[in-house]
Amino acid sequence: MDLRAGDSWGMLACLCTVLWHLPAVPALNRTGDPGPGPSIQKTYDLTRYLEHQLRSLAGTYLNYLGPPFNEPDFNPPRLGAETLPRATVNLEVWRSLNDKLRLTQNYEAYSHLLCYLRGLNRQAATAELRRSLAHFCTSLQGLLGSIAGVMAALGYPLPQPLPGTEPTWAPGPAHSDFLQKMDDFWLLKELQTWLWRSAKDFNRLKKKMQPPAAAVTLHLEAHGF
Amino acid sequence: TMDVYFGWRHLSQVVGNKRMRMTSSFQWLLSTFILLYLMNEVNSQKKGALRDLKCVTNNLQEWDCSWKAPLGAGRGTVYEVCIEDRPRSCYRLEKTNIKIAALSPGDHEIRINSLHDLQSSMSKFILNERNVSLVPDTPKILNLSADFSTSTLHLTWNDKGSLFPYHSNVIWEIKILRKESMELVKLATYNTTLSGKDAVRHWSWTSDMPLECATHHVGIRRYIDCPHFSGRKEWSDWSPMKNISWTPDSQTKVFPQDKVILVGSDITFCCVSQEKVLLAQIGHKNCPLIQLDGGNVAIEIHNISVSANSGTNVVFTTEDNMFGTVVFAGYPPDSPQKLNCETHDLKEIICSWNPGRPTALVGPRNTSYTLFESFSGKYVKFKRVEALTNESYQLLFQMLPNQEMYNFTLNARNPLGRSASTILVNITERVSPHAPTSFKVKDINSTAVTLSWHLPGNFAKIYLLCEIEINKANSIQESRNVTVKGVENSSYLVAVDKLNPYTVYTFRIRCSTETFWKWSKWSNERKHLTTEAIPSKGPDTWREWSSDGKNLIIYWKPLPINEANGKILSYNVSCSSNEETQSLSEIPDPQHKAEIQLDKNDYIISVVAKNSVGSSPPSKIASMEIPNDDLKVEQAVGIGKKILLTWHHNPNMTCDYVIKWCNSSRSDPCLMDWKKVPSNTTETIIESDQFRPGIRYNFFLYGCRNQGYQLLRSITGYIEELAPIVAPNFTVEDTSADSILVKWEDIPVEELRGFLRGYLFYFEKGERDTSKMRGLESGRSDIKVKNITDISQKTLRIADLQGKTSYHLVLRAYTDGGMGPEKSMFVVTKENSVGLIIAILIPVGVAVLVGIVTSILCYRKREWIKETFYPDIPNPENCKALQFQKSVCEGSSALKTLEMNPCTPNNVEVLETRSTVPKIEDTEIMSPVAERPEGHSEAEPGNHVAVSYCPPIIEEELPDPAVDEAGGTAQVIYIDVQSMYQPQAKPEEEQDSDPVAGAGYKPQMRLPINSAAEATAVGDDVDKTAGYRPQANVNTWHLVSPDSPRSTDSNSEIVSFGSPCSINSRQFLIPPKDEDSPKSNGGGWSFTNFFQNKPND
Repeated sequence: MDLRAGDSWGMLACLCTVLWHLPAVPALNRTGDPGPGPSIQKTYDLTRYLEHQLRSLAGTYLNYLGPPFNEPDFNPPRLGAETLPRATVNLEVWRSLNDKLRLTQNYEAYSHLLCYLRGLNRQAATAELRRSLAHFCTSLQGLLGSIAGVMAALGYPLPQPLPGTEPTWAPGPAHSDFLQKMDDFWLLKELQTWLWRSAKDFNRLKKKMQPPAAAVTLHLEAHGF
Repeated sequence: TMDVYFGWRHLSQVVGNKRMRMTSSFQWLLSTFILLYLMNEVNSQKKGALRDLKCVTNNLQEWDCSWKAPLGAGRGTVYEVCIEDRPRSCYRLEKTNIKIAALSPGDHEIRINSLHDLQSSMSKFILNERNVSLVPDTPKILNLSADFSTSTLHLTWNDKGSLFPYHSNVIWEIKILRKESMELVKLATYNTTLSGKDAVRHWSWTSDMPLECATHHVGIRRYIDCPHFSGRKEWSDWSPMKNISWTPDSQTKVFPQDKVILVGSDITFCCVSQEKVLLAQIGHKNCPLIQLDGGNVAIEIHNISVSANSGTNVVFTTEDNMFGTVVFAGYPPDSPQKLNCETHDLKEIICSWNPGRPTALVGPRNTSYTLFESFSGKYVKFKRVEALTNESYQLLFQMLPNQEMYNFTLNARNPLGRSASTILVNITERVSPHAPTSFKVKDINSTAVTLSWHLPGNFAKIYLLCEIEINKANSIQESRNVTVKGVENSSYLVAVDKLNPYTVYTFRIRCSTETFWKWSKWSNERKHLTTEAIPSKGPDTWREWSSDGKNLIIYWKPLPINEANGKILSYNVSCSSNEETQSLSEIPDPQHKAEIQLDKNDYIISVVAKNSVGSSPPSKIASMEIPNDDLKVEQAVGIGKKILLTWHHNPNMTCDYVIKWCNSSRSDPCLMDWKKVPSNTTETIIESDQFRPGIRYNFFLYGCRNQGYQLLRSITGYIEELAPIVAPNFTVEDTSADSILVKWEDIPVEELRGFLRGYLFYFEKGERDTSKMRGLESGRSDIKVKNITDISQKTLRIADLQGKTSYHLVLRAYTDGGMGPEKSMFVVTKENSVGLIIAILIPVGVAVLVGIVTSILCYRKREWIKETFYPDIPNPENCKALQFQKSVCEGSSALKTLEMNPCTPNNVEVLETRSTVPKIEDTEIMSPVAERPEGHSEAEPGNHVAVSYCPPIIEEELPDPAVDEAGGTAQVIYIDVQSMYQPQAKPEEEQDSDPVAGAGYKPQMRLPINSAAEATAVGDDVDKTAGYRPQANVNTWHLVSPDSPRSTDSNSEIVSFGSPCSINSRQFLIPPKDEDSPKSNGGGWSFTNFFQNKPND
């Protein structure tokens, strides 16, 4: 799990360029109904932005958890985190997913992760950490809305949460502080993996949906920075 | 048997005594003893006597006595035991022990008769309580339980106190063993007193190691310390061991979990694992593993340091798993500091405190606070809010009716401990009211207002002390304290008087209680303008007669705001004489003068200022001016922006003095301002913003007598004198051959800018444009200066001048403020005619005289002159001897003196020539172009001189030392020598060959051999070397090759510097003499080689 700050500035700059050019692209190349293309692009951009935001949040949070959680090569077994939605998937399986399934999996995953993240926020001991977490929750809520928008644009129904399956954060006595920390660690790790996966998912969708001209223009401008 | 018994006793005594007395016979005695003993044994065997009667008791009430049966006694042996001093106390039994009721203290005889196979033997024993041992029953553990969360063992057992009739002390010894190897970890003693009844005893022990990780075994024994029992007391046997072990039932593998401990304490963590634990770490730090049973491990942490917010992580790592726990090391709560309880409104008490040292525990382990009031028994709990700062530690406690004294205890508690602070307050003395609200100001009259404000709170029973702050523009701040009776949630009203009319005041208020504790915050500020009142004084008045003397102009100054008491709307001016009173129309405010046509009678002018409330008292001034004949104009200069005027006291002056002033250049009536001073003063300082430096002002001092003013003094002055800004205008009135008369004009007062102190007049000889008269002040000797201090002087005659000479004249004025600018003029004096005539006539006369004398002399000596200066010369055309053929004389080459051999000239370039005789001289032929003057060569030693070069034909010349020395520095580059001298390509061979034998090339000059280095290296034979020699001294070849082997001795350096080389071939003409240099073997050195890396470098 690579949660170091790394080239976050470069990524942010690239992202800003993309966002800057966003309004111009449909206006230049398209008239009339833009279709789901722009909203897919926005969702893609949002995943990249969230990825960037998560880097700093995870850095802060893992430092809060203390060593060895903040050590770069720390890789604990996935003990109590079995309920977390797994982002890792076989490449063949991933390729064979259709758009609807792809979007549904994303939507379900983030709605679960968001719920866990809110629990994390309630647990955090410092006010600053709570603020960061609340901010990230808001962003993640935005991503969820964005995915819902794409699904609506493509005419897919939103997955209905089954009653009783809604995950709840239970910091009860059965959960020791250490296991709680392991869960927190895995939550952040899964979140990052999901964001990577979503970026790929939406990139794939974007290429599929957008007319080639617009895609090329955006591509060039994004790289021209 | 009894015999034996006593015998043994006796013997022992004997042995003891003998040992005391005769240690030397100890060996003999020991042998006797052994012999006796053996005989006794044999006897007793024979007799079948009983041995070793022993009695023990476990309850002091019954003794269990046992003995050893004699040899041969087997089944069917019947014993008859009789206690002698106890009636009917004989017992028949087949065992070797008997339980008898405890005997009273003292000796008792016991007879035991053993009957076996119709044989009987009898033994007698003396039994005493002292010989009985008290061995309590083995205690039995009723229950052993464990509280795993606290690692505590709880042990219960029955003390069986009912068996012992006395209040005996019991010592319990409990041992705790750990692991299967039964390592003793704790041996504890526990004292109790028996109560005569059975009681269940409890004992607890907290383990340093979590109980989950290792089996703990517990055993107990007892010792009864019965004071009335005289026999021996012994420990009971250990009870059967009970153990505690943990059965894994959950995920938890590491113990203890989520423990909160004090910073600096020691703690043991252990891990229950089936896999092999590889690593244990706390935070970043690895810990050594302590092996327990069954793969379990433990680590010990000593002196644990304070944890971060989320606790300190302890992690055990196995091959493919990871177990951990979190420990929270912190501090118990500090006692709350600066606990303070006060009220703002007597309804609610606010207690605030500082938590003191941080506990390092957050979240659920944070300190909880409870505020308890002991008189009422009520309490409130502290609810934690976000982002705690020290100020936010406060609690609200609702005040109770009719209770003034409150005893608060603030309890702080966290998992590591608790602390408390108390405070006893009389709450009526701890009132810090809220800031007053609804603060308003209302007029009462022009000097008084009422202030009203609202103060929330239940102040009905106390008095409030309030501070009113009154601010007035340009005035110091004033504070007034008022005391008002408190009311409940109501408004308060006070009057503030002694204010000024028509003045803007800023009020604000704060309150406290009469028993002062703290001021409230200030209320909002309120600005208020008090109402107007009539002007308190009339305006300051002055009058001037107009220039024609017909009109009197009345001037007055506007009233200052504190005297106007309102906005002045208009002024009323009236004049009255004895007969009549004349009143002018109302003059509106901005106008501050009035003109009245009056005759020269005495009038009294009165001026009244009016505002919306009323009129001021009139200020009066007399029109009459009393003449003063004895008046002269004085001069005065100010200091800074002020000017000081003094005068003598004049008793006639009954009213006041008036000083008026004006700019001297203004026309009449001249008035800038005036100032009135009381009649008893004799000096005043006049100060005005209007005063400017360099401006002349007139000051007039008037004295007032009988309502008329008399001019006492007239003063002209400057605030500050400046230098004149113009030079005086001057002209030349008259010029003669030796004098000039100069006349100048006055400078106007406005341009003078000070009192004129004099003129400076400079003059010097000089033409226009050439003489600038620079540095007039520097005292040049040729400048003459005249300082004219008599300022009334307007002309100056300059005498003793030269005739017909141009003079430069300069005039400048000066004041105390400095020199003015200069004005200059050039004047030429007139000619002196007599001198001129003499100057012409004398030279003419002398010239005529000399001419005449010369003519006479020449005439008389004409023959001699001709002979001497102009003899007859013969005509050369008449001489035949000197005739030439014309054709011969006209340049035939056949008649030249020398004929040269045909020669292909080679170019020789002279690099440097320091010789007085150029080196090229050695060549037989020199191109005319090559010849350079010596001086030129020396001047430009670096210049290359191209010469035609011929191989030498002449034989080697003997060296001329002078030439050598001189020529040592001359350098020649041989161009295209290669064609002439092929062997240069093999310098090594050249060197190897006999230098004397070499006969090919003849050098143009000798190589200098005066160099010591050269001589050592090559030897004396060098001068005979027939090989090529450079013409120049090699020492001067400063071509330091970068790869020259400088490591060799200094001799080689000379050579390796480089030798002359052909420009065309770029090859060195002389091989390096350094044998060590590998490059020298090649003979093909080139400059490019210099930059090649040598492989062996």
